[in-house]
Amino acid sequence: MTSPASSRSAAPGRSGFLRSLYDVFAQVMATSHGSFGVIILTILTVTAIFAPIIAPYDPIALTDDSLAPPSWTYLFGTDNLGHDIFSMVVYGARSSLIVGLSTALASLLLGGVMGMLAGYYRGVFETVLMRVAELFQTLPAIIIVLFLVSLFGSSFWLLLAAVALAIWPLQARLVYGQFIRLREADYVAAAIVAGLPVRHVILREMLPNAMQPIIVQVALDASIAILIEAALGYLGISDPNMVSWGQLLYEAQNFMSEAWWMSIFPGAAICLAIVGLNMVADGLNEAADPKSGSASRNFHD
Amino acid sequence: MIDVHERGSPSRPDGESGDAPLLRVEGLDVRLHVGATSVHAVRSVDFLVRRGECVGVVGESGSGKSTLARAVMRLMPNVSRVELGGAIIFDGRDLMTLPGAEMRKLRRKSGFSMVFQDPLGFLNPTKRIWRQVAEALSERPGGDRPFARVVKLLEEVGLPEPERVAKRYPHELSGGMRQRVVIAIALASEPQLLFADEPTTALDSTVQLLVLDTLRRLHRDRGTGMVVITHDLSVVAELCDRVYVMRGGEVIESGATVDIFEAPEDPYTARLIELSRASHTLGAAKLCAPASG
Amino acid sequence: MTRLILLRLVHGVPLLLAVIIVCFLMLQMIPGDPVQAMVGDFPVTQAFRDSIEAKYRLNDPILTQLGSYLLNFAQGDFGFSFQNQMPVLDLILERLPRTILLAVAGFVVAIPVGLVVGLIAGLSPSRRADRIWTTLTLIAFAIPTFWLGQLLVMMFALKLDWFPTQGIGPFVSRAHGVDWLLERLHYLALPVAVFVVHEGARAARIMRASVQETLSQGYIVNARMKGLTRGEIIRKHLLRNSVLPVVTTSGYAFASTLGGTVLIESVFTWPGLGLLLVDAVRARDNMTVVGVVVVAAAMVIVVNLLVDVIYALTDPRVRSAR
Repeated sequence: MTSPASSRSAAPGRSGFLRSLYDVFAQVMATSHGSFGVIILTILTVTAIFAPIIAPYDPIALTDDSLAPPSWTYLFGTDNLGHDIFSMVVYGARSSLIVGLSTALASLLLGGVMGMLAGYYRGVFETVLMRVAELFQTLPAIIIVLFLVSLFGSSFWLLLAAVALAIWPLQARLVYGQFIRLREADYVAAAIVAGLPVRHVILREMLPNAMQPIIVQVALDASIAILIEAALGYLGISDPNMVSWGQLLYEAQNFMSEAWWMSIFPGAAICLAIVGLNMVADGLNEAADPKSGSASRNFHD
Repeated sequence: MIDVHERGSPSRPDGESGDAPLLRVEGLDVRLHVGATSVHAVRSVDFLVRRGECVGVVGESGSGKSTLARAVMRLMPNVSRVELGGAIIFDGRDLMTLPGAEMRKLRRKSGFSMVFQDPLGFLNPTKRIWRQVAEALSERPGGDRPFARVVKLLEEVGLPEPERVAKRYPHELSGGMRQRVVIAIALASEPQLLFADEPTTALDSTVQLLVLDTLRRLHRDRGTGMVVITHDLSVVAELCDRVYVMRGGEVIESGATVDIFEAPEDPYTARLIELSRASHTLGAAKLCAPASG
Repeated sequence: MTRLILLRLVHGVPLLLAVIIVCFLMLQMIPGDPVQAMVGDFPVTQAFRDSIEAKYRLNDPILTQLGSYLLNFAQGDFGFSFQNQMPVLDLILERLPRTILLAVAGFVVAIPVGLVVGLIAGLSPSRRADRIWTTLTLIAFAIPTFWLGQLLVMMFALKLDWFPTQGIGPFVSRAHGVDWLLERLHYLALPVAVFVVHEGARAARIMRASVQETLSQGYIVNARMKGLTRGEIIRKHLLRNSVLPVVTTSGYAFASTLGGTVLIESVFTWPGLGLLLVDAVRARDNMTVVGVVVVAAAMVIVVNLLVDVIYALTDPRVRSAR
């Protein structure tokens, strides 16, 4: 008898961590949303890395034209001071991606370790984690960040720390949930009974099998972080020394009736990044549950 | 009264018993397409149910027995595409070409209905029992009357304290009680033909006997045609006049229950019988009396 | 049932206390002068410095300080806003109703729209239609609210001049009766539109998933077996069971909206709690910041409690559990 349960009990992630990372990537690329998201993110990453090559002007240098509408000279137009908006949007990709990537990874590290400990050892770890997560979740992330920024200032590094601190409980809760579930799995129980070291059980047996939802959460974390960074820029509270999409929208506020291009392009860039990350997350979820979307079919006969 | 053996012989032409059979399936083919893969779930199956007769369909999971029943009722599982071939004649009407609305009417009133296994999944968790039974009633009287009729139905399927049960939610009932609620729902439309899909599989063995008893009594009292789909040969032995054995989407053997039990022609059938004897210590196969239609 | 409510209430009080304590500890962590840390970047006179030190017992051990800090909150003394020159609590009480008005108006319109879109998407038979809906709602949800607000203002307020660009209403309103109501709606229209796109898309995504989940349930097959029509199945079985999860998540979203519609209020200069917070952060008016944070947390805790109770009331499985 082969049942779905018995095939699952053979640890699918035996060959390890990198392999499962690759598997997840292959799954994402197999769905249309997922592959589209990956394409968007690749374009943004390339833009960020090669910003000096792609941008026709220095983003902080002034051109001779102010408030020039989009043209072949200034693809996205210029702002009131004469900055080329296309060049600023291109450089803005750097700040957004750095914020998104570093805070998502920081919360993966912090939340992941906390979640693993709480889910594996339960007990005190569990209680502490749940209480702390609950405390964080009484406030929207943006308010937590605003609070921290108000108290400690808004330099780039403090901003990163504040965003990571606001979003890590999401990842912690998810990893915790996954580990609680996986502890019940036969192959994990077998590995523990067999006396394999904890490090082995966690890294080789459990983690590879929790990879898919964890990566979904990393993508969602990154999108929340990018949104918060943009929001702070828009509110005029972020680090004034960097070029960011949100700040461009802050500048645009005063020229809404005369320069629509100051608003359209930076906003579209934020939107693109968030859509890309969410599409990757959607694609991953779809790959994990390919059945979804067919349930209504027979309802129509 | 016709003798069990004669009734059971499938080779016998239908015309002789006086009226046309209730359900005649000829060369039924069902292909299910799930994404890129497809399953040939039922392969040119011939199948017959006379009025008031109880027929068993036996096979392991994946043998196509449930798909057969669902194809007749047009209640196919959630897959991307279903391909049907062959003929299904119910009560003189060709179901293959019947429009959806007409199919719905047959399920609605005096056509066919189905008892599902896993009764918890097939009951709406947020509705009281009586409302779920009432909406299946063949006639829908207004006012308090549906409640009274539901209570009568629940009593008929052997539920103790039917008034109280009627006002409960599914999660407040035991598995056996839920299974009988599902039977009551199936009976509410006063069907001529009742499919029972693994009616006892999800239950404890003592409760299984009670449910079998209920089904047998209903079959006898109402004269409803019945198709019992099961992997458990002892259930068929309890209830059915004739039996079809299915494997890999095909009918590999059919005939009167007694004949097949005593002298199975196919080695697969013989193995099924042995397995069921071993697990149930069946003893003498108790055959149900033919329906006194 | 009552036990459930009591349990959650008992749970909420220490949670709020914890929020206040964390705020206190954060203030402690600011390097330099503690009085300045509490007050923010405003110049402090010696007399005021003395009064603050006495009130919060800043020269006593830290536990005493914490005690007096909590006590002040318990007595409704949230401190004094230097920026606005009035007590923080008065400021909050003035702003809170406006935020509630905005959030309620936004959700009352957005959630039904989201439910309908999600229902249509969830019921769509073809994979392509489903995909189009999913993509559209994903993009709608991904549009930053502040950018969308800016675009709406540019289009419908500045270019077409249909709606006001900002604010809650004219300084002195001479309208009355129906006109007065229309005037209010006039000012609400654009912010509510932002809610419809953002929260509506969120609700639609959850509703779509929920509808498909419900459709795959056995009782839907059983309902078809009973010969019910499509409309009957949707009304009697699908709607209630698939709306439930949307109610919960939208409830939580509503709670955090009450806690601070920071961005939407900023775009439309809607003088609610969120705008108060942003202005206070900009001016480093820390007493106001802490006050808004505590009130926001309280709102979230209370509304989440209400959502849990409503959920328990509507789902018989939870209702009978306690």
